[in-house]
Amino acid sequence: MSDHDLATSTAPAWLGGVRDSLPLLSGYIPVAVSFGLVATQAGFSSLETLAISALIYAGASQFVFVGMVAGGAPLWLAVAMTLLINLRHVVYAPNLAPWLPPSRWWPWLMHGLTDQVFALAHARLPQLAERQRVGWFCGAALLAWLSWIAGSLLGAIAGEWLMAQWPLLGEVMPFALPALFLVLVVPRFTSPRWALALCVCIAAALAFTLGGLANVGIPLAAALGGLCFFTLRAPRLPGAHR
Amino acid sequence: MSVELWIALLAGALGTYLIRLLPLLWMQRRLRHSRERAGTESMPAWLGVLGPMMIAAVLGVSLVPRVPDATGWIATLVGLAATLLTWRRTRSLGLPVIVGVATFGVMTLVRPMLG
Repeated sequence: MSDHDLATSTAPAWLGGVRDSLPLLSGYIPVAVSFGLVATQAGFSSLETLAISALIYAGASQFVFVGMVAGGAPLWLAVAMTLLINLRHVVYAPNLAPWLPPSRWWPWLMHGLTDQVFALAHARLPQLAERQRVGWFCGAALLAWLSWIAGSLLGAIAGEWLMAQWPLLGEVMPFALPALFLVLVVPRFTSPRWALALCVCIAAALAFTLGGLANVGIPLAAALGGLCFFTLRAPRLPGAHR
Repeated sequence: MSVELWIALLAGALGTYLIRLLPLLWMQRRLRHSRERAGTESMPAWLGVLGPMMIAAVLGVSLVPRVPDATGWIATLVGLAATLLTWRRTRSLGLPVIVGVATFGVMTLVRPMLG
């Protein structure tokens, strides 16, 4: 659906959110299945795995949490690491706030503000009419959350069997995430200044990940990109005053 | 799971939720104040830049293929090119992702022949 269609659509807003978040599922479900499998192998029951996915709901930190607990690390340290990894989420809501009309639902909906939902909402909310935004976010965030929970449960119950049956599926489907992020980032290449800063940011994040620092790499790469953006000056027009 | 572990889980969950919620409440208050005092900058410039940068950073992190050998990188690049070309034609969200995943899937299937 094009941007114009989205703004003038008469379909229920939540349905638009569900439709827009569908690409997330092919990225979420294989990772959630992996998490369910890892958690049960670490000694957590299916119910406990479900509780972790439903309540913490932050992929990378969940893997760290169960890994540290299974490895016998102090619980306070496991919690501290979980929060440290999720600290990058601190900039998400303020970036969306200008497009959130008053509603008592927003505080509750913030539980669903993952990296992917933020990226989607940051691109889509400005294109929607104000009255559609709560419904859209509700549809998108709920589908993503439920798919994460369902995938985790599936992984806990039948993860080993699934991985043995369709090993290629687990390798191919997660490509939906870089594909989706690319589609969300490309419209931001609006000037050489933005293009250079975004390229620096992407390259830095890639380098951090290859160096084994994926989680710390996200805020660091974003900060580097931001630094690049503010260091580069937009070309001044002849005769323009400083 | 022991009571201590449940408490740790709830602490991790509550902390993560507050990391997502509290900045929203702060920003909403700031926006309300700026509306009352017209002309005040509502959103700090650095925050407006950091949003797109975070998305770009998540893209960078997700680019590393599961099998990071030469053919894995080629499959990733070809998949991204297919995504980009479809986006240029359709300017939509879903179809470019579907085409990208399908292309990446085909590249993954033929990878043993390339390698």
